[in-house]
Amino acid sequence: MTSNTERRDFLKLGAAGLAVAGLAGGAALSLSAQEAAAQSASDSRLREVLNRGKLLCGTGSTNAPWHFENDAGELVGMDITMGRILAKALFDDAQAVEFVLEDPAQRIPNVTTGKVDIAIQFMTMSGQRAQLVNFSRPYYVEGVALISSPKADNKTFADFEKLGSGARVSILQNVGAEEAVHEVLPEATVMQLDTQANVLQALDSRRVDAAAVDLSTVRWLVARNPDRYFDAGKQWRSMLYGAAMRQGDLDWLNFVNTAFSIAMFGHETALYDEAFKTYFGLEPPVRTPGFPTI
Amino acid sequence: MIEQILYAIPFLLEGFYITLLVSTLTVVISLAAGLLLGIGLVYGPAPARLFVRIFSDTIRGIPILVLIFFVYYGLPAAGLDLSSFWAAVAALTLFKTAQVIEYVRGAIGSIPKGQGEAGMAIGLTFPQRLRYVIFPQAVRRFLPPWINGVTDAVKGSALVSLLGVTDLMHAINQVIGRTYEAMPLYVLGAVIYFAVNFALSALSRHLESRFAFIRD
Repeated sequence: MTSNTERRDFLKLGAAGLAVAGLAGGAALSLSAQEAAAQSASDSRLREVLNRGKLLCGTGSTNAPWHFENDAGELVGMDITMGRILAKALFDDAQAVEFVLEDPAQRIPNVTTGKVDIAIQFMTMSGQRAQLVNFSRPYYVEGVALISSPKADNKTFADFEKLGSGARVSILQNVGAEEAVHEVLPEATVMQLDTQANVLQALDSRRVDAAAVDLSTVRWLVARNPDRYFDAGKQWRSMLYGAAMRQGDLDWLNFVNTAFSIAMFGHETALYDEAFKTYFGLEPPVRTPGFPTI
Repeated sequence: MIEQILYAIPFLLEGFYITLLVSTLTVVISLAAGLLLGIGLVYGPAPARLFVRIFSDTIRGIPILVLIFFVYYGLPAAGLDLSSFWAAVAALTLFKTAQVIEYVRGAIGSIPKGQGEAGMAIGLTFPQRLRYVIFPQAVRRFLPPWINGVTDAVKGSALVSLLGVTDLMHAINQVIGRTYEAMPLYVLGAVIYFAVNFALSALSRHLESRFAFIRD
């Protein structure tokens, strides 16, 4: 064997070796890609929820009509319905959801620490909160409204305007609560209280002339207790209510948005419509085929 | 008002049970741990005394609300993921244990040194001095603040609702959230808490009189 032949054989061997190494490397690379894809899918909260077989939904139990126990001791309300809508989309079973009761202050911590899959608890969407959690599409547009007593001498918004600095209004303690009242009654005396129940208790005890509460609460209370509560006829400020999820999980966020959109605008609106009528006393809008208005 | 109170009672039973359960667990575990650590603080070796002192001062220096949220949200990072019920019980127990340690230290420390020295003079061993001389007298000093702490534990158990645990106070808020009839429910809650704590106070007086003298 000449030295040239030896060199050619050596180069062939080297080329073959490189080819084998290339194939092996390619195989290794493609395997890594598959593994990576599998890893990505299993990392999603969506996969975790499906594997678990039920949804863990953070919510409350002390605020009608959003989340409260009915006379049978069952958890009901608009937020509860949204949780059931999600369970139905996940498992075709609206009951496949465990509601984890939480204080409003726990909504974001429970989501970010993974104690719950989602928080659906009349949560106002804001820029500050959106820096901490992902919000779903809004499922309700809330407003602030004034509720008063039908037996009081001053019970309408016009009466309170006339009272000027003599008007007293209770509102739930919150950032910007005072400003919210002064936006419509600039001179009114504002009493900030710790719970919605106490905000209304102040009205019942005649410590205030009106209570500034959620528009949905005004509708709920006036419809059920017309001899005790009166809609003062003023509503302002729009607030979007959305569900909160952990950031960095687009699969889960997209799934929730899809489920909510279908329940509000698609072919499965029965649950949403029934809750909308029951808890807000309003007829849901007619969905017209054609241009998507969502 | 009576009508609303009667309507609410069935909805509060489970919450009342949770309140009693949380209170009992907190009191029993903190009593056992507090006695052990308190005695360690008084008679233990220097490292044990230092450990108990740091533990007690740290826990008593943290607001109980912060402690509850730390146990619930902080411990999972250390691999201990407690449910909301057990996280609340753990936090309340930690807080109460630190108090019991101080009750024990105060009770034993208030017994004059001469008592122990007298026991030593008649030839009693250290365990005998504790059993027959120090502890019978210290128990009388320990009981009043401890029973007071027990009533505090019952009232403080309402804090578990911050983690979504449905105790008596949370059950009351659930009914208020449905009916928006706050005052009758607050009255009912006050009556229930008072009944429990009055019973404990009566028990306290009984125990104090039981230990008011040293039996032969």
